[in-house]
Amino acid sequence: MKTLGTSILAALLLGIGSPRAGADDVIVIQKAAAHLVKVSISGLSGEAESVVAFDLSVLGMEITSPESAEFAVTGHDNGRIEGSLTPAGAAHPVWVRAYAGGDTRAQAHAFANDIIKDIRQTPPIFPGKIAFRQQQGNSAEICVSDFDGHDPVVVTHDGTLVGGPCWIPGSRGLLYTSWKSGDTEILNHNLGTGTRSVFAHYPGANLSPEVSPDGQQVAMILSKGGSPNLWVAGIDGTGLRQLTRTRDEDSSSCWSPDSRDICFVCHSGRAQLLVISASGGPARTIPVAGVYGNLTSPDWSPDGKWIAFTSGSGNFTICVAPAGGGPAQKLVAGEDPCWAPNSRTIIFSRRANNKQTLCLLDVPTKHVKDVRQLSGSCSEPSWAR
Amino acid sequence: MKNVTLIATLFVTIALLPAFTGCAHKPVAPTPIPNMSQRPAPTPTPGPQGPGPGEIVTPTPQPQVSTEPTPLDYGKFAGLFAGPHNEDRDKFKADTIHFDFDSSTIKPSEEPMLQDLANYFKNNDRFEGLVIEGNCDERGTEKYNLSLGERRALAAREYLGNLGVNVERIKTVTYGKSRPVDPGHNEAAWKQNRRDEFVLVTQK
Repeated sequence: MKTLGTSILAALLLGIGSPRAGADDVIVIQKAAAHLVKVSISGLSGEAESVVAFDLSVLGMEITSPESAEFAVTGHDNGRIEGSLTPAGAAHPVWVRAYAGGDTRAQAHAFANDIIKDIRQTPPIFPGKIAFRQQQGNSAEICVSDFDGHDPVVVTHDGTLVGGPCWIPGSRGLLYTSWKSGDTEILNHNLGTGTRSVFAHYPGANLSPEVSPDGQQVAMILSKGGSPNLWVAGIDGTGLRQLTRTRDEDSSSCWSPDSRDICFVCHSGRAQLLVISASGGPARTIPVAGVYGNLTSPDWSPDGKWIAFTSGSGNFTICVAPAGGGPAQKLVAGEDPCWAPNSRTIIFSRRANNKQTLCLLDVPTKHVKDVRQLSGSCSEPSWAR
Repeated sequence: MKNVTLIATLFVTIALLPAFTGCAHKPVAPTPIPNMSQRPAPTPTPGPQGPGPGEIVTPTPQPQVSTEPTPLDYGKFAGLFAGPHNEDRDKFKADTIHFDFDSSTIKPSEEPMLQDLANYFKNNDRFEGLVIEGNCDERGTEKYNLSLGERRALAAREYLGNLGVNVERIKTVTYGKSRPVDPGHNEAAWKQNRRDEFVLVTQK
């Protein structure tokens, strides 16, 4: 581990990411990605310290005493946060920065982003917004909060069933499935104005909307053709077309980052992952090896390389497989994974104490951090990307 | 080496075939009677076929069970469902049907309940409709169960249609795993939750 820490230090000083990074640097980064990095935090207290500690933990870092830390984070908060990052054994910090503007949480998130950018070489993601389903008793509402559960705001008040929220990229809006009409219909909810419109209310089921990353199209499950199948329409609801026509039902879809392909679940024998072009054509199975039973609720990583999904029936497991197919890695117990913009962090839900709670997974280290406890049963998280 | 390559190619082709054909199902063709190779297979028609002199007797064809999805259309009943109406959940409570795990197949044990429903609707032309609510046990993820619940409701709708009920009178709603009758986490509870419920809709 000490050797690894030294390697990380060397990588930092060499400025990994520069055009002259060689094969050895890549090996260091890959090993480093799966390594739970020990970091100490000194000089901060209260909310500043708890935010920095939480954010670093989400990226697979363990907060330790300075003696056993590979990196020392030191800070000072007197209205604005000043912070530095020093690798163990180094005489001087790699940098010293000051964070002005915003509140303490915003500054602490910015500080954590800078630390993560150097230690993990991943783009900053904090703070981030999530939308999810919050169920209390027999009814559910849609809730929006920071990724860590801070500042939860319930945005629906229909007192009925609702679920499957997805963000509309490039706008402060959501699509979700609502039962308030007595049928399942897909609603478009403008969070800025608070107004809603009906996106889809065809005969039968209108379920599971997913907006393409370019914000132009919506994939959804409609049964108006006689069976729950995959359909696509423009974000304005026009141009509706049917992509699958099978008697076997389809469920849950996700878009490739270039908005051209859709990965979805088809229940043919068992539930499998398929890919189809958004402009139509044959669907092909994604050959996933090493997991058996039902594979459901896929999400395509923003860098295009991975499909995260849920395996199992009842005892659910979050898994990740290469987007083109290949061996799956079983990661942790849980369901309904959604990637953060860094293609490294996944938000998901798992059952604890007889209700669903939201959790954050660092894929390479398999380190899990619970989102702050919220009331009710929280599930189906969607990270705004 | 050449043969190995050929075999490998064959395996790859066979393995890829399902991928290219997706998960489409073809309707089952009627099975020709053995030793009838000189005659074309009989086309099934409704009702019994009387044997002519010297003709081989073909068995009465079973009602052709539709295996193709048919578009949902409520016709003149759209107004009934969309407008103000009464819902009676008690009338067909005894006809609730249940399903095997992860399946939307109508089991033979459930057919009498569907026959009961069919009798009701075939014998009246009142402006009444039926809502079929599909439900699942908790052992599927949320969106998966929503689609499975809808498939279960549609399976009952198709069955009723094949028994002669006008499917324009039938609407489907899925609740996935959100409306369990038994909140337990055991087989007894799960068995009760995998079900279609039937709600009578009448005009207000």
